[in-house]
Amino acid sequence: MLSAAEIEIVLLSVKVAFWSVAASLPPAIAVAWWLARKHFPGKSLVDAVVHLPLVLPPVVVGYFLLLLLGTRGPIGALLEQIGIVVAFRWTGAAVACAVMGFPLMVRAIRLSIEAIDPKLDAAAETLGAGRAGVFFTITLPLALPGVLTGVLLSFARSLGEFGATITFVSNIPGETQTLPLAIYALTQNPGGDAAALRLCALSVILSLGALLASEVLVRRANQRVLGHDTVGRG
Amino acid sequence: MNTLIKIILLGTLLAAVPARADTTVFAAASLKEALDQLVADFRQRAKGKVTVSYAASSALAQQIVKGAPVDLFLSADLDWMDYVEKKGLVRKGSRVNLLTNRLVLVAPKDTKASFTIGPKFPLASLIGDRRLAMADPDYVPAGKYGRAALEKLGVWQEVSGKIARGENVRAALAFVARGEAPFGIVYRTDVLAEPGVRIAGEFAQDLYPPIIYPAAIMATSRSAEAAALLAHLRSPTARVVWERHGFGAAER
Repeated sequence: MLSAAEIEIVLLSVKVAFWSVAASLPPAIAVAWWLARKHFPGKSLVDAVVHLPLVLPPVVVGYFLLLLLGTRGPIGALLEQIGIVVAFRWTGAAVACAVMGFPLMVRAIRLSIEAIDPKLDAAAETLGAGRAGVFFTITLPLALPGVLTGVLLSFARSLGEFGATITFVSNIPGETQTLPLAIYALTQNPGGDAAALRLCALSVILSLGALLASEVLVRRANQRVLGHDTVGRG
Repeated sequence: MNTLIKIILLGTLLAAVPARADTTVFAAASLKEALDQLVADFRQRAKGKVTVSYAASSALAQQIVKGAPVDLFLSADLDWMDYVEKKGLVRKGSRVNLLTNRLVLVAPKDTKASFTIGPKFPLASLIGDRRLAMADPDYVPAGKYGRAALEKLGVWQEVSGKIARGENVRAALAFVARGEAPFGIVYRTDVLAEPGVRIAGEFAQDLYPPIIYPAAIMATSRSAEAAALLAHLRSPTARVVWERHGFGAAER
């Protein structure tokens, strides 16, 4: 069925995508809540900056990451002193994917939070719930469908990330060579067509599986939150 | 009729006109600076447009075999030209060996150490837990030459797990210039093109197959200028430019 190399590529891709999502979820929820609930000067600017990775060419994001987080970059040099190196490492690939997927995550969660009636928060507060209590017992559970959608969109984006990853952490088999990078490497080389097509098929299966899983999860979350299974709320 | 349709029709019309004067060159990434200069000279008297696309010879060979409309191909090794020729895509009698090159170990400019590279050269321990930058050792010429040298030195096994593969030799060069990789294996000519690196050691020429750059006009070429351009690249004037960029002459 699958060769050892193919299994390694798939496992690495899933690992990178998983950690990119895990690392970006908490800040994404915080930023989404901030943008949904707060009004402050310069909000449009913050919103635009959050969305930047969505509209910038991925190679630009990757190059900025390399300049900032490379071992000679201002942040990369500091991190290296405490023993953290991301350049050329799978962790760097996860960072690139996290940055690229961040806007998708924030968008989905923010829409979900905005759809929650703020009066619910107020009611909970009058009943004695603290700020954090309101957030964790009211806002977050009600926003769950949005959180799940965000997680999935960002996961899928990570599985497909190419430009920022190859620019930032290169294309190292077993370390940073995720599915799209492996496919690209194969298409660049004569005689790689059959192997590239096998990986393309794997990629389709993986993405399709993620989409179907998201469909099921979001439907379940909606049932829990709304008591029925309509997706999207007024 | 709306504007979009007009634009599309115009585009189709323009694409259909045979552009026989225009010349497309596919060239190994390592040739960049020297070839840019030579092509700039040639453009002054060429009739049509001359466009050069640089990449790994393996990637270029792949694109040519897949039908890229190329007039002139300059490969960094014989293998990829052979591959294209075996597919019947080289114009008969046009193939020549143009240039030679050599292989070096480079390090970032701000480092000091230099090495004599011999059998059991302790490259793996010098790299430590960092990476050796080189072009893809499975396909890209610079990587294949580098791999051959490391195999002959008996250190390939211990180094092979520590390689940052560049898409082409220039990508590997950039890794070292930015200090992301402490060492890299590139052509000696690349060092002249990148002020951020210095030579840390030379690989003896018997460690790897002779580095020869063949050039050929493609069988599908319709450019009237391709032959003139190839002749220009082989001229004594061109040889001066090649040599200034560190290349040797393959033709006697």
